[in-house]
Amino acid sequence: MEVTISTAELLTTDGIPLKQSLRKAERRNKLRAFLLVFPLLLFIFVTFVMPIGDMLLRSVDDSQINSVFPNTFDEYKNWDKGADELPPEEVYKSLFFELANGDKRQIGKALTRMNYAKSGWKSLIKKTTREIKKIVKKGEEPVSYKDTFIKINKLWADPTYWYSFNQMVNDRSSIYYWNAIDRTFDENGDVAMQDEKRRMYMNTWLRTFKVSIYVTIFCLILGFPVAHLLANLPLRYSNLLMIFVLLPFWTSLLVRTTAWIVMLQQNGVINGILVWLGIISDDGRIQMVYNETGTLIAMTQILLPFMILPLYSVMRVIPKSHMRAAQNLGAKPATAFWRVYLPQTIPGISAGGLLVFVLAIGYFITPELVGGKDGKLIGSWIAYHLKTTLNWGLCAALGAILLGIMLIFYWLYNKIVGIDNIKLG
Amino acid sequence: MSKFTKAFLFASIIFAPFAANAVTVASWGGAYTESQQKAYADTYSDPGSIVFENYNGGLGEVRAQVESGSVTWDLVDVLPSDAITGCDEGLFEDISSEIASMGVPGPNGESIAEDMENNGLEYHSGWDCCVPQIFWTYVVFYDPDAFPGEKPDSMADFFDTEKFPGKRGIHTWATGIIEKAMVADGVKPTAVPTVLANQTGAIDRAFEVMDRIKDDVVFWSAGSQPLELVKSGEVVMAVAYNGRVGAANLAEGENFEYIWEGQVLDQEYLCLTAGAPNRDAALDFMMHASTPEAQAEQAKYITYGPMRASGIPIIQNNEPWGPGGVDIMPHMPNTPDRLKVSIVSDPQWWSDYGAEINERYAAWMAN
Repeated sequence: MEVTISTAELLTTDGIPLKQSLRKAERRNKLRAFLLVFPLLLFIFVTFVMPIGDMLLRSVDDSQINSVFPNTFDEYKNWDKGADELPPEEVYKSLFFELANGDKRQIGKALTRMNYAKSGWKSLIKKTTREIKKIVKKGEEPVSYKDTFIKINKLWADPTYWYSFNQMVNDRSSIYYWNAIDRTFDENGDVAMQDEKRRMYMNTWLRTFKVSIYVTIFCLILGFPVAHLLANLPLRYSNLLMIFVLLPFWTSLLVRTTAWIVMLQQNGVINGILVWLGIISDDGRIQMVYNETGTLIAMTQILLPFMILPLYSVMRVIPKSHMRAAQNLGAKPATAFWRVYLPQTIPGISAGGLLVFVLAIGYFITPELVGGKDGKLIGSWIAYHLKTTLNWGLCAALGAILLGIMLIFYWLYNKIVGIDNIKLG
Repeated sequence: MSKFTKAFLFASIIFAPFAANAVTVASWGGAYTESQQKAYADTYSDPGSIVFENYNGGLGEVRAQVESGSVTWDLVDVLPSDAITGCDEGLFEDISSEIASMGVPGPNGESIAEDMENNGLEYHSGWDCCVPQIFWTYVVFYDPDAFPGEKPDSMADFFDTEKFPGKRGIHTWATGIIEKAMVADGVKPTAVPTVLANQTGAIDRAFEVMDRIKDDVVFWSAGSQPLELVKSGEVVMAVAYNGRVGAANLAEGENFEYIWEGQVLDQEYLCLTAGAPNRDAALDFMMHASTPEAQAEQAKYITYGPMRASGIPIIQNNEPWGPGGVDIMPHMPNTPDRLKVSIVSDPQWWSDYGAEINERYAAWMAN
């Protein structure tokens, strides 16, 4: 008798090939796993990807105003600024009809936008529109549209108003990014410096970096010994100390900030003690709040736990025997710390440093309250434009720059230390 | 019917009226909203139908609500420049005809608009969408104990640290302080808006005046801070919202003095959001909240002045108007005498130039 070894596929009991059946089961499992994470994906998409995408779009979008004044802008581009001081008649004529026939609300939105390009547009357009509507109502047709405009308001003969059109004539525009770093477009549409008196964004950016970097360094200097102490004390003491670290977490941010004002002001606790000790004279009280110093001190204290906690969780798992072994092998305590202990805390330092820096660079409430004269950061300006001027394009550009900077720092960090070196415990 | 359906129906009957009729008013919170609750909502025919919600000012949220089509605020309490922008952009509904027909006239038959004009105001497009509330002001105040001898009583004194040594508290944005500096420079208070609008270089002059005190300034950013600054002796004089100073004097037993000269009056409006879910009920409440009586009533609880001129005599003739039998008139910013030495801030001008000047102000502060 011959034994035949079946070369046919293995079948399951219901006659379906095993491979196929397995694949099916696997697919079902994958689908189930996907369905389980789907709500989370959706959540991330709706709350994270979409807003950031929307922000990036807004930072370059100027389509609203272009839908209100399409003809005027087209004609404007034909203006030869070398030849004529003022735009040609066609520009005035198009603007006349676009103001006369345009939707009131759309024009309203457009003139909010125009006012970012040059202060004064709002009133000028509103007054002019009222007069134009009267002319149209009477049924008169102006002989010269240019003269009609200038008769309504002499500002229409001021070329600087017309030059500001350069900032708005394109559907997609980089102007908000330039505005965010104190630059604007000149009469030829080239990038130029903003009026000297109102240049403040570059300074604010630099200050934001400076403060964020200082706060990160101060947090590290202050947090490292504390974390070390916490990690090496017996549990019942370290738990008690931990509460002191965590307590500020449970206190309102506003309360902590206000408390710092009480401590730091010229008639405050610290100045009082210094005068009492005779270190400074009564007239020489130090201004420590309502300026950059105040921002630095208050932010360092508020962000300190974000440095201590990652450091602590990394330090806790470093065996104490390492330091002893190093010293046994002849290292001085300093060398042992420097060559054996410190390298093992790098993941904690990285995590804490990045966390504190990221939080600091976008900080708003504390600098706003204690910043006073020169301690406000870029976040305050984002809030100002979001609420007060409604210049969301500029807000978006400021936000996008902030995001870009974060990504650069992240990339640099990854290059230098390696992102897999980050540890929260 | 299942138990669940019954319960559901029952619940909807109970809760539906609240959900459907509650008019949501977004306002600034704190003592201010409390005074609105007492003066406007509690005196309304259906007090339960008015719900106040806090916000931080500005049109950011309103624009987000209107643009996304999910409007939850029926009424918003705004500054005049926001009333103008919101009305121009269509974030607030144009109800000029409703205000004209439904607005409650004053004792001599004056319309809401006429009543405001009697208070020194000029028409702006915010009047098409909003009804007036109160005047609040940026006023300079001090603790008399800090000046044993001569006491400061003018803007020139505020900007003169040689005559009156000591630090000054001012806010971290430009509105109000620019106008005060113009007065210190010799401009007649009532003429300040015209000078700012028509004279090139007026702003430069204001900044030059502000330079005089710059090294002696403590900059504040929250309304409670100037009170703290003066109380603790950190500064000898400060600019503050007059309602805060009034509250300190009336409720906390302080004895602060005002310098009414050069005070900068700003307006406050109640506006109807475009697409408000309870439009008609909200409109009805607006008309109630803009009567001279209701506005005078509000002065009982916070020392802000009625924007309708006919509200003032109601307070004057019924003193002591305040709670506990105190006179309110000494704390009212817009009495005829005080209006003569005051600046009524020009919201249209600020909405034209505000962003630019605030950037310049920030650059000035930090350098």
